[in-house]
Amino acid sequence: MPISRRTTAAILPLLLSSMALTGCGGGDDGGGSRADGKIEGKIRFQTWNLRANFKDYFNGLIDAFEKKYPDVKVTWLDQPAENYAEKLSADAGSGNLPDVVNVSPDLAHPLAKAGVLMNLDREKASSRYRSEYTPEAWRGNALPGLDGTYAFPWYLNTGPMFYNKALFRKAGLDPADPPRSYDELFSAADTMARATDGEVATLAGTPSVEDFGRYGVQLMNGDATAFTYNERKGVELLTRYKKLYDKGGLDGQALTNTPEKAGQKFLEQKVAMNPGSAHDLETFKRDAPSLYKNLGITEAPNNTGKPNMYVMGLAVKENSEHKAAAIAFAHFVTDGRNQESFAHQVAIFPSTRGSLDKPYWTHDDGTDEGRVRVASAKLLKGAVNYTPVVMSDEMKTVLQNEVAKALQGKKSPKEALDDAVAQSNKLLQQG
Amino acid sequence: MRRHSTAPASRTHRAASPWLFLLPGLAVVTAFTLYPFLTTVHQAFTDTRTLTGGSWVGLENFRTMLDDEQFTVGLRNSLLYVVMVVPCTVLLPLLLALLVRRQIPGVTFFRAAFYTPVVASVVVVSLIWAWMLDDRGLVNGILTFLGASPVAFLGDQWLLLFSAMALTVWKGLGYYMIIYLAALANVPPELHEAAAVDGAGAVRRFLSVTVPAVRSTMVLVGALSSVAAFKVFSEVYLLAGPTGGPAGQDTTLVMLVQRVGTGLNGRVGYASALSLVVFAITLVLMLLVLRADRREEPT
Repeated sequence: MPISRRTTAAILPLLLSSMALTGCGGGDDGGGSRADGKIEGKIRFQTWNLRANFKDYFNGLIDAFEKKYPDVKVTWLDQPAENYAEKLSADAGSGNLPDVVNVSPDLAHPLAKAGVLMNLDREKASSRYRSEYTPEAWRGNALPGLDGTYAFPWYLNTGPMFYNKALFRKAGLDPADPPRSYDELFSAADTMARATDGEVATLAGTPSVEDFGRYGVQLMNGDATAFTYNERKGVELLTRYKKLYDKGGLDGQALTNTPEKAGQKFLEQKVAMNPGSAHDLETFKRDAPSLYKNLGITEAPNNTGKPNMYVMGLAVKENSEHKAAAIAFAHFVTDGRNQESFAHQVAIFPSTRGSLDKPYWTHDDGTDEGRVRVASAKLLKGAVNYTPVVMSDEMKTVLQNEVAKALQGKKSPKEALDDAVAQSNKLLQQG
Repeated sequence: MRRHSTAPASRTHRAASPWLFLLPGLAVVTAFTLYPFLTTVHQAFTDTRTLTGGSWVGLENFRTMLDDEQFTVGLRNSLLYVVMVVPCTVLLPLLLALLVRRQIPGVTFFRAAFYTPVVASVVVVSLIWAWMLDDRGLVNGILTFLGASPVAFLGDQWLLLFSAMALTVWKGLGYYMIIYLAALANVPPELHEAAAVDGAGAVRRFLSVTVPAVRSTMVLVGALSSVAAFKVFSEVYLLAGPTGGPAGQDTTLVMLVQRVGTGLNGRVGYASALSLVVFAITLVLMLLVLRADRREEPT
């Protein structure tokens, strides 16, 4: 049946309009309101996997803010832990990013680079709060290649190293003296492998970029434009890991274990040591009481004296229609009182100036949680975020795969790290 | 006069009616298939990133593939998946269908049991397989109990890939079995009876009666399973982890598309170019299968 022009004329606009409807928006299209304007309007606030455990806390927080600013209405959104970066990229791409959004520095970097996040140092309405936070935390969201800070510092965390005292005893190691430096770690792992005939591995994973950082390897050049972890110390660390792998000091599936899988192996008492966070204590207590009875807690091995720190922040959308309200809310959530109150609910640490000097974080109350809290708070004072914020997930996979090749003996440690650096630098240059 | 005034309207109505009926379907296909496809084709020739629009780079993304070791690995693994999985998913479900079509007591239970993996979530069954194949999982426990050494199913690149293939075959058996059961129901029993009278044994009857009768279904199953095998993602991803197995050696092409194209720094242009390659190879596979069917068509 021939198609008449009139039919085509009737159908084509409909098809074209449907295409236009499905077409992704062109991202944020400029505009936005004044940062120093009136604090009013409806804003959206997005957290990262916090609703399940902290619903009441956040509802209370929002109620308190809305009481303080009656012209503001806050809608709280929470996203699951998985695929958060994908969710942010979809929202940012469609111009639908919430006004206040929970980010870590590595997530903030591409968003800020794309002009989606507000530079807090540029606006007086936000920069005036700078002195309320520790300088390290404020700098934690200063992003390489970009001037200024792009998120209000929120909670901090540091990763203690858990170890299994029973497995230490079995291998003839002193459970009261866990390894604190990498020399001690490799020595203990060697003993563990020999004493248990490879039955028990000391670690479940391969070295991450944080391990390279804590070993004292220079990860990037000064202006964060090129990776440098293939330097002498990096090769030395990987060579030692290779020897350890060959002796059975790493779990048999170390090359493919994800952090979750590694945690599971520790829970099942198949490996003797595993990095974690203070959240894990509750899991051990609930799911592995026999492990919990033999649980040792120490610092992650470190050759630099500066432990690793994880930083969370609250960023404000550059084109928010109610920027003043968004800034006020982001500051409200992250101010000293509310951060400390949140840190009393869960094992995290406030980033506000002076908070960690308060007795809750300086005096051990005799419980395991209190011991970990005080130890971790002490560590945080000199801590740094070792993971370079420009290091994308793809670059981390490149490093992990090249490390695996070195451990398998397919490449020398030097070749593997040279290749990883070359591939990562290529990705970095592509922007 | 009346006829003259209504004739053009009637003609328009006749011409427009089918299109109006088709419109909802066309709109859905255009919005969710055609438009994304055309966008992917366009982006394959740009350096688009997740958060930034790209500029035209011509064939640069395709040139990048030639230097990308992970592309070679992904292509090898995806093709190997087709070569290993498709014969199994064409033949094993047919044999299974022949077994369960018999009217024997309790056969319904087996039919349901064989179909269960199809309705189970791929994530759940993959996790169960991962636990079973763990270096201290059920399978290695049995091996150790029998005095054998444990096998690194999830630590060795080839064993891991073959484990994922076994999972794909196991999960697909029930689905293809149902398709074969429908085809077998249409095979006239007289053919088997005549062959039996002529002295043909079970194997001869299978090769000379059953296989020719369900040949078109075998082609259909072959086409469906080749496309599914080439585009495999979940099973390998869940067994091998996000890095694609030891040193990324179990990465498949679709896993590579996911890895490079997602996240806030995703290289959407390059991922689109990879998707086009996946599309082209899938198309070739389909054409090859259909061509094989036509060639075998009796004249």
